Amino acid sequence: MTQAAPIAHRAGLVRGTLVVFRRELAAFFDSAIAYVYLIAALVLLASLYMNEFFLTGRLDMTPLFDTLAPLSIFLLPAVTMRLWAEDKKSRTFELYVTLPLRAGQLVVGKYLAALALYVIFLAGTLPIVAMLLSLGDPDLGLIASGYLGALLFGGLLLAIGTFLSGLTSDQIVAFVSSVAFGFALVFTGDPRVVAVLDGMAPALGAGTWLADSVAALPHYENFLRGLVELSSIVWFTGLTAAFLWLNTLVVARVRT
Amino acid sequence: MSPMIRVQDVTRDFGSVRAVDSVSFEIGPGEIVGFLGPNGAGKSTLLKMLCTFLPPTSGELAIAGHDVAREPLAVRSKIGYLPEHNALFETMRVSKLLRFMGEARGLGGAYLAERTEWVAEAMTLQSVLQKRVSECSKGFRQRIGLACALIHDPPVLLLDEPTHGLDPLQVVAFRDFVRGLAEGRAILFSSHILAEVAEISDRLLVLQEGRLCLDEGLASLQARAAAESSTLETLVLRTVQDARRTA
Repeated sequence: MTQAAPIAHRAGLVRGTLVVFRRELAAFFDSAIAYVYLIAALVLLASLYMNEFFLTGRLDMTPLFDTLAPLSIFLLPAVTMRLWAEDKKSRTFELYVTLPLRAGQLVVGKYLAALALYVIFLAGTLPIVAMLLSLGDPDLGLIASGYLGALLFGGLLLAIGTFLSGLTSDQIVAFVSSVAFGFALVFTGDPRVVAVLDGMAPALGAGTWLADSVAALPHYENFLRGLVELSSIVWFTGLTAAFLWLNTLVVARVRT
Repeated sequence: MSPMIRVQDVTRDFGSVRAVDSVSFEIGPGEIVGFLGPNGAGKSTLLKMLCTFLPPTSGELAIAGHDVAREPLAVRSKIGYLPEHNALFETMRVSKLLRFMGEARGLGGAYLAERTEWVAEAMTLQSVLQKRVSECSKGFRQRIGLACALIHDPPVLLLDEPTHGLDPLQVVAFRDFVRGLAEGRAILFSSHILAEVAEISDRLLVLQEGRLCLDEGLASLQARAAAESSTLETLVLRTVQDARRTA
């Protein structure tokens, strides 16, 4: 008997994470769902953008990124809802957690697979950039900043969705709770919501407090204006890391 | 010789229900041990604790000298585990599933290819390698589960109801196959069919309502049964009934 060492020990964390990443990414494309999902989401986003483009006639991708935020609230939980919930329902969770891999490797591998699918989706919007370039001279810095914002914002929603999927064996519960979380993140930053919440209890200033400390929208809008601020990058990556860490704790503890 | 599997005074509670109650035993290399008991006796719970999926409420478990609670990664690299429900990634092709299981256990390159070929041949999976798991029959699925458990050539095999879903010919082939695997390896497999356990095992462990009520070599049991002009089945049944009365 030739014994293989635990992958977490022998080749560091990266190799085991990549093994999980490849399996999870392949699982998305094992059925037609990922293809249908990508095409439908791209057609929807591009249609909404092109409508705005023909109305304004501006060589600007900001309306696309503006539309992407509320759309992501529904699109990304559809990607993450199956990540853990399906494994728990079909009992493949037992198969996963009895492999010589750390909980962190499983979580990051699954998260990166979802992120890769999202990057493929974002890459699907690049023909729009090509179209704008062929029509004139758009602000490429602004476009790049918008893409960075979309990546960070989507990355956070995916981390939240992956975490919530780890709490349940029901994909619908995972989807609905992720959508609710996404709504809270986006709409607590909407000036109308802030005004309503502040108006309900002026002494508390709950709306302003939520917009300042919880809402993702102000940070996301910085990127749409071309402002790549370190504080916003840290805000997104810090929260993403926090949810992945929480997910790792859940996966490690779920066996007890 | 140090034991490959050591279970020391292990108890597992689920809320107010005691599923496993102060169980102790050791299994050495080369031993095939049948784990017998009615449904709900605690067999699967004990196997889940040995494979690190469930922690014990109290007591200690060790695999190949590694403590299950303190060194779970080392334990997982030493075991091949076939769970009771044998859940597999349904949409994966069998060849890719075997590759994934090997890679996740640290195998790679030529050795992984060699092991994949070996388990595919040993489990006669060649005809389904390019099929998706969901397209395979129950018998094939069970053999795929066994192939996944064996891909890394583990020194300890934990098999929960391994013949479930196999037809009689496949059961006979499985018995021969398991006997062939025994050298240098500790094999613990659960079943609720005595005849099946008696065919393969060197030793019998019987669980009744979470308690170990019998731990004896098969030869000794058969000799006792012969001395009493009884059958192995009657002897084991009487032991279980005595344990139930005592409890």
